Amino acid sequence: MDYFIQQFLTSLGYGSTLAVLAAGYTMTFGIIGLVNFAHGEVLMVGAFAAYFVIQIAMLPFWAGVLAAVAGSVIIALLIERVAFKPVRGVGMITLFITSLGASTVIKNLTVLVFNDRLKPFPSPKFLEGSYQIGNIFIYKKIAFIVLITILICILLVLLVKKTKIGIAMRSISYNINIAQTLGINTEMVIIIVFMISATLAGISGIFWGILFGSVQASMGAIPVVYAFIASILGGVGNVLGAIIGGYIIAVGSSLLVAYLPVDLVGLKPLFAWVIFFSILIIKPSGLFKANIK
Amino acid sequence: MNNQPLLELKEVTAGYGKMVVLENISIKISQGDVVTLLGSNGVGKSTTLKTILGQTNIKKGEIVYKGRDITNLKTYDIAALGMSYCPEGRQIFGNLTTKENLISGAYLVKGKKQLKENLEKVYSLFPILKNRENQLSASLSGGEQEMLAMARALMGSPDLLLLDEPSLGLAPKLVELIAEIIKNINETGVSILLIEQNAKLALDISNYGYLMRKGAIAFEGTSEELVKTEKVKEIYFGIG
Repeated sequence: MDYFIQQFLTSLGYGSTLAVLAAGYTMTFGIIGLVNFAHGEVLMVGAFAAYFVIQIAMLPFWAGVLAAVAGSVIIALLIERVAFKPVRGVGMITLFITSLGASTVIKNLTVLVFNDRLKPFPSPKFLEGSYQIGNIFIYKKIAFIVLITILICILLVLLVKKTKIGIAMRSISYNINIAQTLGINTEMVIIIVFMISATLAGISGIFWGILFGSVQASMGAIPVVYAFIASILGGVGNVLGAIIGGYIIAVGSSLLVAYLPVDLVGLKPLFAWVIFFSILIIKPSGLFKANIK
Repeated sequence: MNNQPLLELKEVTAGYGKMVVLENISIKISQGDVVTLLGSNGVGKSTTLKTILGQTNIKKGEIVYKGRDITNLKTYDIAALGMSYCPEGRQIFGNLTTKENLISGAYLVKGKKQLKENLEKVYSLFPILKNRENQLSASLSGGEQEMLAMARALMGSPDLLLLDEPSLGLAPKLVELIAEIIKNINETGVSILLIEQNAKLALDISNYGYLMRKGAIAFEGTSEELVKTEKVKEIYFGIG
């Protein structure tokens, strides 16, 4: 039992990383039907920005966080202008392809310039160590990350359900032309959604750095796929659903592998894919209410 | 009373992309009017409304609203000038509740108090919507959805309401009710540009009409004139 609890608690770290990434992913997915393959690179650029500020420039951690958010937002807006705006309205597949292109360009450029080796990402001192309850260790890093994620979750749900811009977002996701006739400045709202989504990706990048102690140019490639699966799992456009989906994937795959023989550890990704195909077969609209037509 | 029309289309040629749908359309709506666009399917009636709203490609001509040239304005800026749209086929936000749909219509309304007032006003016009307040709008009946679409369009207190086929797919009794409601709305000071397949209904509740054919205005006149003329019958049914 202790083993189960320990595995569960530890997996909440990666779960939070995926949850926050997926929350941003599902927002752009819901509002303009964008399956954003480049979202992983938004995470990576944010993490790298923090890495440069903290490790290279030796500035305090909070400066790194600001840099991460700034870096992610800037790269996301750049991608939006170059890869998405020109083809908006043409169809989901085209948007997906251009996102794939953006992802490839950014990732490979980064590898070219900075190589794909792991770069050390220092965590703040106050996050080192753990609390011990019986035989179970609650790592401070993970507790911190989970708390921040819960806070983000509450803020996002309030944003979507209670604010004017939340109604605007949901209206646009359902019918963009009608939303315009109601006086909603759809251009501005879409940009705001991209910025929120990018901020979340930047935060996810910081979480990754804290958890794994390192960043690398290709770090975005795998999480973005899990963010996609989590979005589908939670109902496209549903931020709470995506957050829960992120946790389900991380916790589920950790627990799966915890009870398999050591040489089967490579089967870890299988969990997410089994969940993905199950949802598509059983309930394609997702576990919770989707926010899209 | 101002002599200047509330809305005027001056020789507007418009369409989608390279395709031209409307040729040289001139329409005038004065404050307090209910003006109707008549014509068979595909003749450009809906396109005319969408053109006024800035959702098509205007190639020639001007559109003037409240004395302002709105020809090149974005849809949301035109809406902010006091123009509302109730589209063909309701097009309410099915993923939102009745009340949330109404609140989305009040996007430009400033202040909670004003929002509450406007909500009360539309509930008095459409009492059944109050009963369905927290219901998911996709589960409302056809008639209720039409009322919701109209109520949503009224939440912003528009001066001009563009109504596209309000009676489409509704039972005759409901059509009568909708006609009454449209008259009431007009009496509160909202001018209306109406598209209606049901020519009798349209001419009953409007005071002026334009008959369209192949993207152009074929004939225009007061509702009395239109009801009497053979031309309306001819062009409406595509004969002559």
